Amino acid sequence: MNLSITLNVNGKDYSLEVKPNEILLNVLRDRLELMGTKYGCGIGECGACTVLLEGRAILSCQTLAFTVDGKRITTIEGLEQDGDLHPLQQAFIDEGAVQCGYCTPGMILSAKALLDAKPDPSNQEIKQAIRGNLCRCTGYTNIVRAIKTASVTIKNRGRMKR
Amino acid sequence: MDFECSTPRNLDEALEALKAEGAQVLAGGTDLVNSIKINAAKPRHLVYILGIAELDFVTVEGKSLSIGAGARLGDIEHNHGVVSRFPALCEAIDVIGGTQIRNMATLAGNICNASPGADTPPILLALNAEVEICGAGGAAGVQYSRLPLGGFFSGPKKTVLKQGQLVFKLILPLPPEHSGAAFRRLARVSLDIAKINCAAYIEREGDRIRLARIALGSVAPTPVRAPAVENALEGRKYGERLFDRAAGLVAEDIAPIDDVRSTAAYRGQIASLLVREALLEAWKRAGGQK
Repeated sequence: MNLSITLNVNGKDYSLEVKPNEILLNVLRDRLELMGTKYGCGIGECGACTVLLEGRAILSCQTLAFTVDGKRITTIEGLEQDGDLHPLQQAFIDEGAVQCGYCTPGMILSAKALLDAKPDPSNQEIKQAIRGNLCRCTGYTNIVRAIKTASVTIKNRGRMKR
Repeated sequence: MDFECSTPRNLDEALEALKAEGAQVLAGGTDLVNSIKINAAKPRHLVYILGIAELDFVTVEGKSLSIGAGARLGDIEHNHGVVSRFPALCEAIDVIGGTQIRNMATLAGNICNASPGADTPPILLALNAEVEICGAGGAAGVQYSRLPLGGFFSGPKKTVLKQGQLVFKLILPLPPEHSGAAFRRLARVSLDIAKINCAAYIEREGDRIRLARIALGSVAPTPVRAPAVENALEGRKYGERLFDRAAGLVAEDIAPIDDVRSTAAYRGQIASLLVREALLEAWKRAGGQK
Protein backbone atom coordinates (compact mmCIF):
# COMPACT_ATOMS: atom_id res chain seq x y z
CA MET A 1 0.00 0.00 0.00
CA ASN A 2 1.48 3.36 -1.04
CA LEU A 3 0.76 6.56 0.81
CA SER A 4 0.46 10.04 -0.61
CA ILE A 5 2.48 12.56 1.36
CA THR A 6 3.54 16.15 0.90
CA LEU A 7 6.86 17.56 2.04
CA ASN A 8 8.22 21.05 2.07
CA VAL A 9 11.95 20.66 1.55
CA ASN A 10 14.12 23.79 1.55
CA GLY A 11 11.05 25.89 0.81
CA LYS A 12 9.84 23.80 -2.12
CA ASP A 13 6.68 21.67 -2.00
CA TYR A 14 6.76 18.04 -3.12
CA SER A 15 3.93 15.51 -3.47
CA LEU A 16 5.12 11.93 -3.30
CA GLU A 17 3.87 8.38 -3.10
CA VAL A 18 5.84 6.48 -0.47
CA LYS A 19 5.83 2.94 0.85
CA PRO A 20 5.33 2.53 4.62
CA ASN A 21 8.92 1.31 5.00
CA GLU A 22 10.59 4.14 3.08
CA ILE A 23 13.19 6.02 5.07
CA LEU A 24 13.29 9.81 4.83
CA LEU A 25 17.03 9.78 4.04
CA ASN A 26 16.40 7.66 0.94
CA VAL A 27 13.51 9.85 -0.17
CA LEU A 28 15.73 12.92 0.06
CA ARG A 29 18.70 11.37 -1.73
CA ASP A 30 17.18 8.97 -4.26
CA ARG A 31 13.92 10.67 -5.14
CA LEU A 32 14.53 14.37 -4.58
CA GLU A 33 18.20 13.99 -5.60
CA LEU A 34 19.40 16.03 -2.64
CA MET A 35 22.69 14.23 -2.11
CA GLY A 36 24.03 16.55 0.60
CA THR A 37 22.46 14.47 3.36
CA LYS A 38 24.73 11.50 4.04
CA TYR A 39 24.21 7.88 4.97
CA GLY A 40 26.67 7.02 7.73
CA CYS A 41 26.07 4.35 10.32
CA GLY A 42 22.38 3.74 9.61
CA ILE A 43 21.69 3.11 13.29
CA GLY A 44 21.39 6.59 14.72
CA GLU A 45 24.85 7.04 16.18
CA CYS A 46 26.87 9.16 13.75
CA GLY A 47 24.60 12.09 12.82
CA ALA A 48 25.71 12.22 9.14
CA CYS A 49 22.04 12.01 8.09
CA THR A 50 20.95 14.97 10.26
CA VAL A 51 18.30 17.26 8.74
CA LEU A 52 16.06 19.88 10.32
CA LEU A 53 12.43 18.94 10.84
CA GLU A 54 10.41 22.08 11.61
CA GLY A 55 13.74 23.66 12.59
CA ARG A 56 14.88 20.90 14.94
CA ALA A 57 17.73 18.48 14.26
CA ILE A 58 16.60 14.91 13.66
CA LEU A 59 18.10 11.78 12.08
CA SER A 60 16.69 11.16 8.62
CA CYS A 61 17.95 7.55 8.60
CA GLN A 62 15.77 6.77 11.62
CA THR A 63 12.67 8.48 10.25
CA LEU A 64 10.01 6.73 8.22
CA ALA A 65 8.92 9.11 5.48
CA PHE A 66 5.19 8.69 6.13
CA THR A 67 5.62 10.13 9.64
CA VAL A 68 6.73 13.54 8.31
CA ASP A 69 3.77 14.08 5.98
CA GLY A 70 3.03 17.79 5.69
CA LYS A 71 6.22 18.85 7.48
CA ARG A 72 8.93 21.36 6.70
CA ILE A 73 12.41 19.94 6.20
CA THR A 74 15.73 21.72 5.73
CA THR A 75 18.76 19.96 4.26
CA ILE A 76 22.24 21.36 3.70
CA GLU A 77 21.17 22.41 0.17
CA GLY A 78 18.68 24.80 1.74
CA LEU A 79 21.21 26.95 3.59
CA GLU A 80 22.74 28.89 0.73
CA GLN A 81 20.76 32.01 -0.21
CA ASP A 82 21.00 33.39 -3.78
CA GLY A 83 24.48 31.97 -4.23
CA ASP A 84 25.76 33.19 -0.86
CA LEU A 85 26.90 30.55 1.60
CA HIS A 86 25.32 30.53 5.04
CA PRO A 87 27.68 32.01 7.68
CA LEU A 88 28.10 28.49 9.11
CA GLN A 89 29.19 27.13 5.75
CA GLN A 90 31.63 30.01 5.25
CA ALA A 91 33.00 29.65 8.78
CA PHE A 92 33.59 25.89 8.28
CA ILE A 93 35.72 26.75 5.23
CA ASP A 94 37.53 29.65 6.88
CA GLU A 95 38.34 27.78 10.07
CA GLY A 96 39.48 24.59 8.33
CA ALA A 97 36.63 22.65 9.88
CA VAL A 98 36.21 20.42 6.81
CA GLN A 99 38.52 17.62 5.81
CA CYS A 100 36.80 14.67 4.14
CA GLY A 101 33.50 16.51 4.44
CA TYR A 102 31.29 13.51 5.15
CA CYS A 103 30.11 14.70 8.57
CA THR A 104 29.91 18.35 7.48
CA PRO A 105 26.28 18.61 6.32
CA GLY A 106 24.98 16.99 9.48
CA MET A 107 27.39 18.94 11.65
CA ILE A 108 26.30 22.27 10.10
CA LEU A 109 22.61 21.47 10.45
CA SER A 110 23.04 20.56 14.13
CA ALA A 111 24.92 23.83 14.54
CA LYS A 112 22.17 25.76 12.73
CA ALA A 113 19.49 24.36 15.02
CA LEU A 114 21.64 25.43 17.97
CA LEU A 115 22.28 28.98 16.70
CA ASP A 116 18.63 29.49 15.74
CA ALA A 117 17.62 28.65 19.31
CA LYS A 118 20.65 30.13 21.05
CA PRO A 119 22.50 32.81 19.03
CA ASP A 120 25.42 33.15 21.45
CA PRO A 121 26.31 29.67 22.71
CA SER A 122 29.26 28.85 24.97
CA ASN A 123 31.85 26.31 23.82
CA GLN A 124 30.28 23.81 26.20
CA GLU A 125 26.84 24.36 24.66
CA ILE A 126 28.32 23.92 21.17
CA LYS A 127 29.96 20.65 22.19
CA GLN A 128 26.73 19.46 23.74
CA ALA A 129 24.75 20.34 20.58
CA ILE A 130 27.09 18.37 18.27
CA ARG A 131 27.48 15.39 20.60
CA GLY A 132 25.36 13.36 18.19
CA ASN A 133 27.59 14.16 15.20
CA LEU A 134 30.77 12.15 14.80
CA CYS A 135 33.80 13.48 12.91
CA ARG A 136 36.64 11.05 12.27
CA CYS A 137 39.19 13.28 10.57
CA THR A 138 39.13 17.05 11.10
CA GLY A 139 38.68 16.76 14.82
CA TYR A 140 36.29 18.82 16.83
CA THR A 141 38.48 21.80 17.75
CA ASN A 142 38.15 23.56 14.40
CA ILE A 143 34.48 22.62 14.16
CA VAL A 144 33.67 24.18 17.52
CA ARG A 145 35.67 27.27 16.55
CA ALA A 146 33.81 27.53 13.23
CA ILE A 147 30.45 27.44 14.96
CA LYS A 148 31.60 30.12 17.37
CA THR A 149 32.85 32.25 14.44
CA ALA A 150 29.54 31.84 12.63
CA SER A 151 27.63 32.94 15.71
CA VAL A 152 29.66 36.16 15.76
CA THR A 153 29.15 36.72 12.00
CA ILE A 154 25.40 36.28 12.35
CA LYS A 155 25.32 38.65 15.31
CA ASN A 156 27.33 41.33 13.43
CA ARG A 157 25.10 41.04 10.36
CA GLY A 158 22.05 41.54 12.55
CA ARG A 159 23.65 44.73 13.88
CA MET A 160 24.45 46.03 10.39
CA LYS A 161 20.85 45.52 9.28
CA ARG A 162 19.60 47.51 12.24
CA MET B 1 10.55 -5.71 5.44
CA ASP B 2 6.99 -4.83 4.45
CA PHE B 3 4.33 -3.56 6.78
CA GLU B 4 1.21 -1.45 6.75
CA CYS B 5 0.85 1.76 8.67
CA SER B 6 -1.74 4.13 9.98
CA THR B 7 -1.58 7.73 11.18
CA PRO B 8 -4.44 8.20 13.64
CA ARG B 9 -5.42 11.77 14.55
CA ASN B 10 -6.92 10.95 17.94
CA LEU B 11 -6.80 8.34 20.68
CA ASP B 12 -9.96 6.50 19.55
CA GLU B 13 -8.56 6.03 16.06
CA ALA B 14 -5.22 4.86 17.49
CA LEU B 15 -6.83 2.26 19.73
CA GLU B 16 -8.98 1.06 16.84
CA ALA B 17 -5.90 0.71 14.62
CA LEU B 18 -4.05 -1.17 17.37
CA LYS B 19 -6.65 -3.95 17.21
CA ALA B 20 -5.15 -5.13 13.92
CA GLU B 21 -3.15 -8.35 14.15
CA GLY B 22 0.57 -7.69 14.57
CA ALA B 23 -0.06 -3.98 15.15
CA GLN B 24 2.60 -2.12 17.04
CA VAL B 25 2.91 1.45 18.29
CA LEU B 26 5.46 3.69 16.56
CA ALA B 27 6.48 6.85 18.41
CA GLY B 28 9.91 8.46 17.91
CA GLY B 29 11.17 5.31 16.21
CA THR B 30 14.72 5.58 17.52
CA ASP B 31 14.61 2.00 18.79
CA LEU B 32 11.89 0.46 16.66
CA VAL B 33 13.12 1.65 13.24
CA ASN B 34 16.57 0.20 14.00
CA SER B 35 15.03 -3.07 15.11
CA ILE B 36 13.03 -3.24 11.89
CA LYS B 37 16.16 -2.53 9.83
CA ILE B 38 18.06 -5.44 11.39
CA ASN B 39 14.99 -7.72 11.35
CA ALA B 40 14.83 -7.86 15.15
CA ALA B 41 11.28 -6.50 14.97
CA LYS B 42 8.79 -7.63 12.34
CA PRO B 43 5.67 -5.56 12.81
CA ARG B 44 2.78 -6.20 10.44
CA HIS B 45 1.23 -2.83 11.07
CA LEU B 46 2.69 0.34 12.58
CA VAL B 47 0.40 2.78 14.34
CA TYR B 48 2.15 6.17 14.41
CA ILE B 49 1.04 8.07 17.49
CA LEU B 50 3.04 11.30 17.34
CA GLY B 51 0.40 12.95 15.15
CA ILE B 52 -2.06 12.77 18.06
CA ALA B 53 -2.26 16.17 19.74
CA GLU B 54 -3.97 14.82 22.87
CA LEU B 55 -0.90 12.72 23.72
CA ASP B 56 1.58 15.58 23.39
CA PHE B 57 1.70 17.35 26.75
CA VAL B 58 3.88 18.03 29.77
CA THR B 59 1.74 19.59 32.49
CA VAL B 60 1.72 20.18 36.21
CA GLU B 61 -1.79 19.48 37.51
CA GLY B 62 -2.45 19.65 41.22
CA LYS B 63 0.26 17.72 43.01
CA SER B 64 1.70 15.87 40.06
CA LEU B 65 3.50 16.21 36.78
CA SER B 66 1.93 14.47 33.80
CA ILE B 67 3.96 13.55 30.75
CA GLY B 68 1.96 12.43 27.72
CA ALA B 69 3.07 9.50 25.57
CA GLY B 70 3.77 11.91 22.72
CA ALA B 71 6.16 14.17 24.63
CA ARG B 72 9.69 14.05 23.22
CA LEU B 73 12.66 13.79 25.57
CA GLY B 74 13.96 17.15 24.32
CA ASP B 75 10.65 18.86 25.13
CA ILE B 76 10.61 17.36 28.61
CA GLU B 77 14.18 18.26 29.58
CA HIS B 78 13.66 21.89 28.53
CA ASN B 79 10.21 22.27 30.09
CA HIS B 80 10.41 24.89 32.81
CA GLY B 81 8.22 22.97 35.25
CA VAL B 82 10.39 19.87 34.84
CA VAL B 83 13.72 21.71 35.03
CA SER B 84 12.75 23.48 38.24
CA ARG B 85 11.16 20.53 40.04
CA PHE B 86 12.89 17.45 38.61
CA PRO B 87 16.53 18.34 37.84
CA ALA B 88 17.62 14.71 38.25
CA LEU B 89 15.11 13.60 35.60
CA CYS B 90 16.57 16.20 33.22
CA GLU B 91 20.06 14.88 33.97
CA ALA B 92 18.99 11.34 33.13
CA ILE B 93 17.33 12.47 29.89
CA ASP B 94 20.32 14.56 28.91
CA VAL B 95 22.66 11.56 28.68
CA ILE B 96 20.40 9.78 26.17
CA GLY B 97 21.85 9.89 22.66
CA GLY B 98 22.59 13.17 20.93
CA THR B 99 20.30 16.16 20.43
CA GLN B 100 18.72 14.53 17.38
CA ILE B 101 17.71 11.39 19.28
CA ARG B 102 16.16 13.46 22.08
CA ASN B 103 14.24 15.54 19.52
CA MET B 104 12.69 12.32 18.22
CA ALA B 105 12.42 9.85 21.11
CA THR B 106 9.68 9.94 23.75
CA LEU B 107 9.87 9.19 27.47
CA ALA B 108 6.97 6.73 27.15
CA GLY B 109 8.89 5.01 24.36
CA ASN B 110 11.96 4.66 26.58
CA ILE B 111 9.76 2.93 29.16
CA CYS B 112 7.89 0.73 26.66
CA ASN B 113 11.12 -0.38 25.03
CA ALA B 114 11.93 -1.80 28.50
CA SER B 115 15.66 -2.09 28.06
CA PRO B 116 17.19 -3.19 31.40
CA GLY B 117 19.88 -0.53 30.91
CA ALA B 118 17.64 2.38 29.84
CA ASP B 119 18.56 5.65 31.50
CA THR B 120 15.16 7.01 32.56
CA PRO B 121 13.62 4.09 34.53
CA PRO B 122 15.90 4.34 37.61
CA ILE B 123 15.09 8.00 38.22
CA LEU B 124 11.41 7.47 37.39
CA LEU B 125 11.30 4.60 39.89
CA ALA B 126 13.07 6.71 42.50
CA LEU B 127 10.54 9.49 41.92
CA ASN B 128 7.67 7.00 42.38
CA ALA B 129 6.29 7.35 38.84
CA GLU B 130 3.03 5.75 37.79
CA VAL B 131 2.02 4.70 34.30
CA GLU B 132 -1.45 5.31 32.92
CA ILE B 133 -2.38 2.76 30.29
CA CYS B 134 -5.35 3.01 27.96
CA GLY B 135 -7.15 0.52 25.78
CA ALA B 136 -10.33 0.30 23.74
CA GLY B 137 -13.23 -0.48 26.03
CA GLY B 138 -15.96 -1.22 23.49
CA ALA B 139 -19.19 0.62 24.24
CA ALA B 140 -17.65 1.98 27.45
CA GLY B 141 -15.22 4.11 25.43
CA VAL B 142 -11.55 4.33 26.27
CA GLN B 143 -10.56 2.43 29.43
CA TYR B 144 -7.79 3.84 31.59
CA SER B 145 -5.82 2.08 34.31
CA ARG B 146 -2.87 3.11 36.45
CA LEU B 147 -0.03 1.14 37.93
CA PRO B 148 3.28 1.90 39.63
CA LEU B 149 6.17 1.91 37.15
CA GLY B 150 7.79 -0.93 39.12
CA GLY B 151 4.94 -3.20 38.05
CA PHE B 152 5.19 -2.22 34.40
CA PHE B 153 8.39 -4.06 33.49
CA SER B 154 8.03 -7.83 33.22
CA GLY B 155 11.42 -8.81 31.79
CA PRO B 156 14.18 -7.67 29.45
CA LYS B 157 12.39 -5.74 26.67
CA LYS B 158 9.06 -6.91 28.09
CA THR B 159 6.22 -5.01 29.73
CA VAL B 160 2.75 -5.82 30.97
CA LEU B 161 1.17 -3.93 28.04
CA LYS B 162 -1.29 -6.13 26.18
CA GLN B 163 -2.06 -6.10 22.49
CA GLY B 164 -4.27 -3.11 21.79
CA GLN B 165 -3.05 -1.12 24.79
CA LEU B 166 -1.10 2.09 24.79
CA VAL B 167 0.71 4.08 27.46
CA PHE B 168 -1.30 7.29 27.79
CA LYS B 169 0.94 9.16 30.22
CA LEU B 170 3.43 8.99 33.06
CA ILE B 171 2.58 10.64 36.36
CA LEU B 172 5.17 11.90 38.83
CA PRO B 173 4.17 13.22 42.26
CA LEU B 174 5.67 16.68 42.83
CA PRO B 175 8.54 16.33 45.29
CA PRO B 176 7.83 17.94 48.68
CA GLU B 177 10.09 20.43 50.40
CA HIS B 178 13.27 19.00 51.94
CA SER B 179 13.54 16.31 49.28
CA GLY B 180 16.23 15.73 46.68
CA ALA B 181 17.05 13.34 43.87
CA ALA B 182 20.15 12.45 41.88
CA PHE B 183 21.13 10.33 38.88
CA ARG B 184 24.45 8.64 38.19
CA ARG B 185 25.66 6.47 35.32
CA LEU B 186 28.78 4.89 33.91
CA ALA B 187 29.36 4.35 30.20
CA ARG B 188 32.47 3.92 28.07
CA VAL B 189 31.95 7.08 25.99
CA SER B 190 29.20 9.64 26.25
CA LEU B 191 26.86 8.25 23.56
CA ASP B 192 27.16 4.66 24.81
CA ILE B 193 24.44 2.71 26.52
CA ALA B 194 25.10 2.57 30.26
CA LYS B 195 27.17 -0.19 31.86
CA ILE B 196 25.18 0.63 34.95
CA ASN B 197 23.02 3.51 36.12
CA CYS B 198 21.27 4.45 39.33
CA ALA B 199 19.11 7.08 40.96
CA ALA B 200 18.34 8.08 44.52
CA TYR B 201 15.53 10.09 46.09
CA ILE B 202 15.58 11.22 49.70
CA GLU B 203 13.04 13.02 51.87
CA ARG B 204 14.77 14.72 54.77
CA GLU B 205 13.43 15.52 58.23
CA GLY B 206 16.03 17.56 60.08
CA ASP B 207 19.14 15.42 60.12
CA ARG B 208 17.22 12.21 59.50
CA ILE B 209 16.32 10.35 56.32
CA ARG B 210 12.54 10.15 56.45
CA LEU B 211 12.21 8.21 53.22
CA ALA B 212 14.61 6.86 50.59
CA ARG B 213 14.01 5.33 47.20
CA ILE B 214 16.95 3.91 45.25
CA ALA B 215 16.76 2.28 41.83
CA LEU B 216 19.30 0.84 39.41
CA GLY B 217 19.51 -0.20 35.76
CA SER B 218 21.64 -2.72 33.89
CA VAL B 219 22.03 -4.90 36.99
CA ALA B 220 18.98 -7.17 36.67
CA PRO B 221 16.49 -8.36 34.00
CA THR B 222 14.49 -5.18 34.60
CA PRO B 223 15.24 -1.83 36.24
CA VAL B 224 15.01 -2.51 40.01
CA ARG B 225 14.51 -0.79 43.33
CA ALA B 226 17.02 -1.42 46.10
CA PRO B 227 14.95 -2.20 49.22
CA ALA B 228 17.93 -3.38 51.29
CA VAL B 229 19.59 0.02 50.87
CA GLU B 230 16.32 1.88 51.45
CA ASN B 231 15.54 0.01 54.67
CA ALA B 232 19.02 0.62 56.02
CA LEU B 233 18.52 4.37 55.59
CA GLU B 234 14.96 5.13 56.54
CA GLY B 235 14.47 6.78 59.91
CA ARG B 236 18.22 7.02 60.51
CA LYS B 237 20.32 10.04 61.24
CA TYR B 238 22.55 11.18 58.40
CA GLY B 239 26.19 10.20 58.52
CA GLU B 240 28.71 9.37 55.84
CA ARG B 241 29.31 5.99 57.53
CA LEU B 242 25.59 5.25 57.32
CA PHE B 243 25.61 6.01 53.57
CA ASP B 244 28.71 3.80 53.11
CA ARG B 245 27.09 0.90 54.93
CA ALA B 246 23.68 1.27 53.27
CA ALA B 247 25.20 1.56 49.77
CA GLY B 248 27.20 -1.61 50.44
CA LEU B 249 23.95 -3.52 50.92
CA VAL B 250 22.99 -2.97 47.26
CA ALA B 251 24.53 -6.36 46.42
CA GLU B 252 21.44 -7.93 48.01
CA ASP B 253 19.18 -6.08 45.58
CA ILE B 254 20.87 -6.71 42.24
CA ALA B 255 21.77 -9.65 40.00
CA PRO B 256 24.20 -8.34 37.37
CA ILE B 257 25.44 -10.42 34.45
CA ASP B 258 28.36 -10.37 32.00
CA ASP B 259 27.52 -8.82 28.63
CA VAL B 260 29.12 -6.77 25.85
CA ARG B 261 29.22 -3.63 27.95
CA SER B 262 30.57 -4.88 31.26
CA THR B 263 30.99 -7.81 33.62
CA ALA B 264 28.92 -9.00 36.55
CA ALA B 265 31.92 -8.58 38.85
CA TYR B 266 32.59 -4.98 37.81
CA ARG B 267 28.93 -4.03 38.00
CA GLY B 268 28.67 -5.59 41.44
CA GLN B 269 31.67 -3.63 42.70
CA ILE B 270 30.80 -0.32 41.15
CA ALA B 271 27.09 -0.43 42.10
CA SER B 272 27.70 0.46 45.74
CA LEU B 273 29.95 3.37 44.79
CA LEU B 274 27.40 4.79 42.36
CA VAL B 275 24.62 4.39 44.91
CA ARG B 276 26.74 6.15 47.52
CA GLU B 277 27.41 9.08 45.17
CA ALA B 278 23.74 9.35 44.23
CA LEU B 279 22.71 9.25 47.90
CA LEU B 280 25.16 11.99 48.88
CA GLU B 281 23.97 14.21 46.03
CA ALA B 282 20.29 13.57 46.81
CA TRP B 283 20.92 14.36 50.48
CA LYS B 284 22.67 17.60 49.54
CA ARG B 285 19.80 18.58 47.25
CA ALA B 286 17.35 17.80 50.02
CA GLY B 287 19.08 20.57 51.97
CA GLY B 288 20.89 18.16 54.26
CA GLN B 289 24.14 19.23 55.88
CA LYS B 290 27.30 17.22 55.70
